[in-house]
Amino acid sequence: MLSYFIRSVAFRHLRYSVSQSLLTIGVVAISVLLIIYLRTIIGGTQQRITQNTTGAIPHITVEPPERTPVGAWQLSSLGLDTDNLYVGEVVNLPKAREVIEDWRLWLPSLDAVDPEVATVSPIVTGQAFMNRGSRRQSVRVTGVIPERHNGIVEIEKNLDAGRFIGMVSGDVVLGQKLARDFGLKLRDKVRLVGPEGLTLNFSVAGIYTTGFGQVDDGQVFVTLRDGQSLLELGGSISSFGIKLTDLYDAENVARRMVPVFPFKVQSWVVQNPNLFRTLDAQGQTRDLILIMTTIASGFGIGSILVMVVTSKYREIGILKAMGATPGEIQSIFVLEGLLLAFIGCLVGVPLGVLLLKGLAAIRSVGPDGRVDAPFLIEIDPMLLLGASLVAMATGAVASWFPARKAGQVDPMQVIRGS
Amino acid sequence: MAQPVVELDRVGKTYYNGDVETPVLFDISFSIVPGEFVAIVGGSGSGKTTLLNLMGLLDRPTAGVIRVESQEVSQLDELSRAKARRDRLGFIFQFHYLLPEFTVLENALMPCRMRGREFEKSQEPRMRELLRAVGLEDKLKVRPPQLSGGQQQRAAVVRSLANEPAVVFADEPTGNLDSKSGRLVFDLMKRLSRESGTAFVMVTHDDNFALEADRVIRIRDGRLVGAPAGVPSGAIPSR
Ligand SMILES: Nc1ncnc2c1ncn2[C@@H]1O[C@H](COP(=O)(O)OP(=O)(O)OP(=O)(O)O)[C@@H](O)[C@H]1O
Ligand SMILES: [Mg+2]
Repeated sequence: MLSYFIRSVAFRHLRYSVSQSLLTIGVVAISVLLIIYLRTIIGGTQQRITQNTTGAIPHITVEPPERTPVGAWQLSSLGLDTDNLYVGEVVNLPKAREVIEDWRLWLPSLDAVDPEVATVSPIVTGQAFMNRGSRRQSVRVTGVIPERHNGIVEIEKNLDAGRFIGMVSGDVVLGQKLARDFGLKLRDKVRLVGPEGLTLNFSVAGIYTTGFGQVDDGQVFVTLRDGQSLLELGGSISSFGIKLTDLYDAENVARRMVPVFPFKVQSWVVQNPNLFRTLDAQGQTRDLILIMTTIASGFGIGSILVMVVTSKYREIGILKAMGATPGEIQSIFVLEGLLLAFIGCLVGVPLGVLLLKGLAAIRSVGPDGRVDAPFLIEIDPMLLLGASLVAMATGAVASWFPARKAGQVDPMQVIRGS
Repeated sequence: MAQPVVELDRVGKTYYNGDVETPVLFDISFSIVPGEFVAIVGGSGSGKTTLLNLMGLLDRPTAGVIRVESQEVSQLDELSRAKARRDRLGFIFQFHYLLPEFTVLENALMPCRMRGREFEKSQEPRMRELLRAVGLEDKLKVRPPQLSGGQQQRAAVVRSLANEPAVVFADEPTGNLDSKSGRLVFDLMKRLSRESGTAFVMVTHDDNFALEADRVIRIRDGRLVGAPAGVPSGAIPSR
């Protein structure tokens, strides 16, 4: 297909219109650079925001279904039992506090519900007061199986002292800030008062700093059984938390789970609709910019080739008279478009990588005093390949039409000198 | 008698542009034998270029039959005609139309290049020899824009012989040159025709050149002059 003749003519055209070629190569290189830069930077930012949001929470939450009590007088609106007269005072019944009683039966099937499921953690949670001496503060007590719950939020890795995995009945693990407020060190005693007034004594087994505000500030961890006792839940739990291998698949997995379990199954996406909308809008803006640059580079290649074809009109006619086929002539110019795009990639991809490497090396001091990289940058080889393929496809499409015109040049018109 | 390289049998051509019909050539019959040097003369608009385009397989007749080396070629499709031109025919035009990005030698070899690298390689010594014969031996590596008009046209003459064609068609090859360069190019074509045994068909307005051809074909208003209808070899020998 790409004969020696085709290749040599295409190469020569590019070589002897250096400034035009360089201009086009520059346009392609910039568009490739932009694709790589924008996708990586925005991808990194999105990943960071998402991780900050989902780092300390389950990707999927499995809770008891909400049941709102229905007054007898409301039955008629449900189409039931309408012929009765009710006498009395209207009171609003509180929502029943729902728990999952038979959680041990569900745990194995949750573990196995989807290959994406990485961790399932049974959780009891409720408000309690923490007492020490004269100090008293409301905290959120979370009773967990540490081995499982460490897969939901990384406590063990972020311990400043003590342990999390392996904690036993009577142990409490809490955040550094809370420990400081209460002047607590490892093995210090502290008292927790449940919502029904039950008081239990604990000793500090671990102190951590995760960097997630909601975990570090007002939350304390106890064993699942201690949590159940303190909150007087018997053998029940409040919910299951699930962590997946791919957090972006949460909504799909949650949707697959809904018909299988008699619970309220929700993904983090549904629980954080604003975040999701923001990320989505950001992604769309990025895509729009990328489409625009790609089209611009396509027009760049296309207009250069229109110029080349127009200025080579006579030579094309002569080549055709000498026996070059329309297909061969067309191939010459498509090849030129592809070559321009290819060289553009050869320039744009290393430039993009260089730029990202430079940005990745930047360090800045955050408001918390920690030195951190402001850009989360992962150079994805598939992205480099993808950007190149987009540029090559653009080159092929943009050169197609001028090339076809070139293939259709009528040698007789050229010979007549018109 | 040798097989003719080109035969025209009652060839006619009418251009159709939408509703407009322009009849240009009528009932043309003659043949050209190998090695023959033929001049086509006639007034402006008489149909010389049209005739040359038909013989050169750039266009199709609307009547009659054309044979190149005994092959009926009148109704071949575009691709087959392109291939036949590439393999068997040579062309010289009023303007040289050499490719400015290639050297003189590469330009001369361009018809061979279309047939592949090997073929081009095999023809290179012969082309060097021909370029030397036309006085371009020290211009082989030079690109055409640096040559004079006459030198460019000489390179184009050599190019027309690159694929060892059966016949070369030249449409006013000297029309754009001063008389001295024109004479040089004409003498060259005659010499190369004789030496290589290649037939040349040349359209010219210059009677001096026509008189030096082996044969002159005269056209007036799309008909051969002096050829009663139905007489096939209607051309008049010039001497
Ligand atoms: N594509 C076309 N459509 C319609 N008419 C055409 C077309 N090409 C040529 N003609 C007409 O055919 C006639 C012959 O044209 P042709 O170019 O063959 O003449 P010519 O003998 O080569 O003239 P010149 O000496 O000026 O080059 C002219 O009247 C021209 O207008
Ligand atoms: Mg003419």
